[in-house]
Amino acid sequence: MKALVVYPNRELLYAASTLGGEVAALVFSEREAEAVKGVAHRALVAEVDPRLPDAVAEAVVKAAQSYQVVLLPSTKNGKTVGGLVAQRLGAEFLTDVLTLRVEGGVLKAERYVFGNKAVAAVEAAPPVVVTVAPGRFQGQPPAVQTTVEKVALQAGSKMKIVSVEEKARGAVKLEEAEIIVSVGRGFKKKEDLQMAFELARVLGGQVGCSRPIAADLKWLPEEHWVGLSGKKVKPKLYLAIGISGQPQHIAGILDSRIIAAINNDPSAPIFQNADYGVVEDLYKIVPILINKLSKTKG
Amino acid sequence: MKVAVLVKTALDTGQLRVRDTVATEETPLKISDIDRNAIEEAVKLKGQDKAYAVTVLKWGPLQKKAQEAENVLREALAMGLDEAYLVADERLLNASHVVTAKALAAVVKKVGADIVLAGEATVDNYTGQIPARVAAELGWPVVTYVRELRVEGGRLIARRDLEDHVEVVEVQLPAVVSVTREINQPRIPTLLAIRAAMKKPVNRLTLADLGVEVAPRIAAAYKPLVIQRKKVVIKDGTPEEKAEKLIQYLRQEGVI
Repeated sequence: MKALVVYPNRELLYAASTLGGEVAALVFSEREAEAVKGVAHRALVAEVDPRLPDAVAEAVVKAAQSYQVVLLPSTKNGKTVGGLVAQRLGAEFLTDVLTLRVEGGVLKAERYVFGNKAVAAVEAAPPVVVTVAPGRFQGQPPAVQTTVEKVALQAGSKMKIVSVEEKARGAVKLEEAEIIVSVGRGFKKKEDLQMAFELARVLGGQVGCSRPIAADLKWLPEEHWVGLSGKKVKPKLYLAIGISGQPQHIAGILDSRIIAAINNDPSAPIFQNADYGVVEDLYKIVPILINKLSKTKG
Repeated sequence: MKVAVLVKTALDTGQLRVRDTVATEETPLKISDIDRNAIEEAVKLKGQDKAYAVTVLKWGPLQKKAQEAENVLREALAMGLDEAYLVADERLLNASHVVTAKALAAVVKKVGADIVLAGEATVDNYTGQIPARVAAELGWPVVTYVRELRVEGGRLIARRDLEDHVEVVEVQLPAVVSVTREINQPRIPTLLAIRAAMKKPVNRLTLADLGVEVAPRIAAAYKPLVIQRKKVVIKDGTPEEKAEKLIQYLRQEGVI
């Protein structure tokens, strides 16, 4: 199936190559065109501001005519562009797909649904728009000859960007962390989070948090936030302390290898989603864990 | 300002029963969580004008669910919306999103809204594609993932919450806006408001009423998620013993 990749990266280009047809990359500058040379059959250069979803969608609709599938990353702007393009093309839009294959001229994919309690197997006939869940398609796109062409455009954007504010960023890279100690509403005050930082230090991990800690109480910057609106993580150990386990939070930790949970409420949903659960007051057990682990590690 | 809110009458996934199969038919409906924030924002914005709840019923069986959806919409009305539109049509169940967006856009045109609000995504399918689709259908600008909103002389100024940064953008009305949970704290309706909502109109429409054509269906089959956790729960002993046990398990797994 011939695929058009928008906001191309290696993973998307690889996913597109598995569909068995020509792969084109829609890029927004000559410099980006240079970056896809050798890994896409065509580089289509549209000189629009990639931050403006409607302008990008315009370029995609124009370029998409000879392609059966449009692939985008599962980012917020990727999904916005995808929705606009899909409606304009009269196409289905499959978001956050985990798998992707072509069978009998139809695109088949799987995605998590219902608060990640189920997997939906979906299929749609071309044209189809797809966003790919990050980290699911590991491989190298094959080496190919690339031609570079321009996409001619007139239409501008209806949206004006007035200003951009960078979010506060520290040294936290939860997506890459091997061990995450995550905190939730079970902590009674901000100062108590020090315990979690201490435990994370002893374990050589990072500190994450649930939505209320970052969004409502603002005890930690948003870069610590794990969940559907926050970061999706895949550590070897995710230790949830005082986190009840709302579906939105579980969605962010699904790919963790081992999930352990500490909560004083035995009916907390987190226990249904954990490998090891401890029913205990975190104020009692966390200091003990710090103590025991620092002894053996030290 | 006339406001239309896209309210998804979503499956209450908290009550979804998953064993060997996924029982969607038995699962009750509820307002998709983030749509409550859209409703709250609509009530704040509408001023002297009216705000409408608009929903397309996507889950069957239609007869049972249509009544349930109507009850769900009463909740939206109790929060302060003035009138509700429910598009219930057998042909919409599992229909293409293209048709869903067409039906929603048709109702928006019917009520003559200046602004359409919706949650960033719905709690059941979580695809987040409908706001952009409805905007494309109406030919209006779309502003997604908004955590702060202001309307000034026909212009809408919004803060978009993106992955690494916040973007302040401006568009002319009419526009479609999707909001995040951070935009406000949705109100809990008073008993008086709930009673009043019983008297507010809920209009039922079919695709024929809206003049919308149906495209082919999307095929979807659901199966339980296979990632199974071990669910070992340590609840007996002193905190000391429990800590020791947890450390033991985590060592056995080789994660610490």
